[in-house]
Order: sequence, then structure tokens, then C-alpha cells
Amino acid sequence: MMFLLALFSVCLLQAIVIPRLAVGGIQPDLFLILLVGLSLSVEPELAAAAGFLIGLYQDSLSGAPLGLNAFALSLIGFLVSRLSQQVKTTEFTGRFTLLCLAGLLSGLITLLLLRFFYAPRPFASALLWTALPGALYTAILGTGILGMRKLKISRSTVG
Amino acid sequence: MTRLLFRYRRPLILSTALFLAFVLLTLQARSGSSPALFAKQILLTSISPFMRIATKSVDITATVWHEYIDLRRVRRDNQFLRDEVRQLRAELGDLRETALEHARLSRILQLDRRAGTQTVVARVIGKDTTNWFRSIVIDMGANRGIQRHMAVVTSEGLVGRVVDVTAATSRVQLITDPESGVGVLIQRSRIIGIAAGSQGGAIQIKYLPLMADVAVGDRIITSGMGGIFPKGIPVGTVARTSRPTNGTLFQSIEAEPHADFSRLEEVIVLKQPPSSGLSWSGGEPPLR
Repeated sequence: MMFLLALFSVCLLQAIVIPRLAVGGIQPDLFLILLVGLSLSVEPELAAAAGFLIGLYQDSLSGAPLGLNAFALSLIGFLVSRLSQQVKTTEFTGRFTLLCLAGLLSGLITLLLLRFFYAPRPFASALLWTALPGALYTAILGTGILGMRKLKISRSTVG
Repeated sequence: MTRLLFRYRRPLILSTALFLAFVLLTLQARSGSSPALFAKQILLTSISPFMRIATKSVDITATVWHEYIDLRRVRRDNQFLRDEVRQLRAELGDLRETALEHARLSRILQLDRRAGTQTVVARVIGKDTTNWFRSIVIDMGANRGIQRHMAVVTSEGLVGRVVDVTAATSRVQLITDPESGVGVLIQRSRIIGIAAGSQGGAIQIKYLPLMADVAVGDRIITSGMGGIFPKGIPVGTVARTSRPTNGTLFQSIEAEPHADFSRLEEVIVLKQPPSSGLSWSGGEPPLR
């Protein structure tokens, strides 16, 4: 229930508020932040299923063909969850790196799928000028959001 | 069997999710499949009422916030006249907003008369949620007679075309979307090309021969070819031209769109292409 509420809120924020925060046409990806935050605390199979659902909603709210982000986020959810079981991801730098890598991987998968199914886009420039800035912006915002969530949880535990 | 499924649940769930996504993509790539479009419409419909409410709330919050900032400034400048200035500023803000809205709606009404076709004025309630596509969501859909492939314009010029329609909302693919292509012609020299979006958000004019007469500042209008966009809608102006020397047959031309896509508030959907070319009297691109 909490997940659906969070997904719904992210849909609204991403479609209405986040475009106002775009820098040079690049906006952070709240869907990815939600998925990474979730994947850090659930089993890989749940993370993959959640990634699929999050991706479907992201596709429906964008010009993307249905399934494009669902594919990317299923895989990313699974990988992030697996990785979080083996690597320490509680540190600031760990989360930043994880979000950055997730953003880049999302961009890479998107480009490869677009190349496979639709007209290919200039690969190197799209990675450099769209995927990389998008991943960095998402990582900066996501590290802050996940850090605040962690702080809130630890405070409520102490309380 | 159950034990086996449980043991391999991780790869099973992941591969099912990936397979489903792949099938959806394949269906759409092959035929623009209706089940996939239907699923997308259901998802969009489930969220669009909340998008309207949230857009309204955000607008109100932004207005209140700006009023608050103004108020703080006035208080600092002149403590004694605070109340009066606040009131005047609020009134001024309202009047300015009313005047801007009036100007926008007047332009839209003029366009409505000029277009010679049925139009629907719609409000922008959402923007694309990824960095890979350029699209907007508008608050009018099938219940107002909007259908796929209808052209969308503002008083400044061409915006894009309708690609998804639900009962009460529609998605519009902007002309700056990398998947968009619009038949255009250079107004001065009447040379025909294709205006395509790009990853960076600029418009590239493709397939203009190396010797074609194109100069920076030339106005670009829709050619009417392709049957979606009526002829004569302003698209933009030529911003950069170059003639590659690497054996390419075409010029490399970049155009700047007339419409400001970052500030779209209202748009007009042309419900059917007019029988003859549109007459966009006034000639010059309007000021923003």
C-alpha cells in the first residue's frame, strides 16, 4: 500500500514539479530513486517486480513505448537488490555511486532498446549529454532523499 | 514443482518481467499494437485526474509563494506602507495575470478564426517524465473529439501532434522529440525538407540539398505533406547552416522553434486539417 502511494506521488511529482527543476533540459529521475530506495530493502525478485510496475507507469507518462522503462527498471531493481546484499551501500558515497551507476545503466539500456526497436540515436553523444548528466542529477537528488529517509528511520528507532 | 518454482523464483520473476516488457515493445514496434496502447491508456487514465488536481495545487502554491517573497521585500523596504503595498501588489499581480491571460486567449481566438477549422483549446497538465522523449499531457481527450495524429499549435507556431488519447487527456509529441518528423519548407526559397527533433532538443532540417538556397534567419513553415500538419504553420527560423565537406549530399541545418516549449500553458488542437493552407497573417513570428 505504501509502495503504491509512493509510486503515485512520484508519478505526480515527476510529471508536474520535476520538469520545473530541469537544468539544460535534463531532469532527475524520481522513478529511479524510488526503485533504488526500495531495492536496498527488499529481495531481488520483489525489486524486479516493483521495477516492472514503476517502469510501466513511467512509460505511460512519457512518450516512451510501453515496456521500455519497464524492461530497464526490472533489471536495475534486481541488480541493485543483489548488489546491496553483497556491498555496503549505507554510506553517502556508496549510495551516490549506486544511483549514478543505476542512472547510467538505465540510459544505456534505453539507448540499446531504442536502437533495436526504433530509429537509432547517436550513441556516444546521447550517453554523454543526456544519460550522464541525468544520472548525476538523479544521484545528487537521490542521495539527499535516501539520506533523509535513513535519518528519519534512525530517529524513529531511537525514539 | 512448487519447491522448484520457489527455488528458482528470482531468475523466474526477473525473466518474466523482462519477457513481458520485451513483448510489449515488440508489439508496438511491429504494428503500434492496440493492446499495448490500451494498456498505456489505462495507466494514463488512472493518474490523469490526480494530475489535474496536482497541477492546480502547484500553480496556487507557486502564486502564494511568489506573493510571499514580494511581501517580504516590501516589508524590508518600507515598514509603514506594508499593508498598502501588499494590497497593491496583489492587485497588480492579478491584473498582470489577467492581462497576460487575456492576451494569450485573444491570440488563441484570432487563431481559431484564422485556422478555418474546428479547434479545441487545451491546458498543459504534465510534461514528459524522461530525458529521452519530449511530450506533454493536455487536459482534453476523446470526449472533446480529439483523435490521434491531430496537429497541435499555439499562437506562436507548431507544437506537435497528438499520439495518445484517453477519455479526458491526450499526450502530444512535441516537434523537438527525437522521434518526430514534420514536412516543412523554407518560406523564402520554397525548398522542401523534414524537420526532425533531436536528443538535445533542437530541430534539425534534413534532406536539403547542398546547393539549396537557405540562409540563417529564413522562416520555416509546414509543407502540408504527410497529411497531418496543415500547410503554412510557422515552425521556426533557421539558426545555423553548414555544408559538410565529407561527401554528404545534404546540408546540415539547425532551426530554432517559434513556440517556447518550456513555457507552454495552453495549446490548440486542430480537429481536422483545413481544406486549403492556413493563412497565418501577420508574417513575422510573434514576440514572446
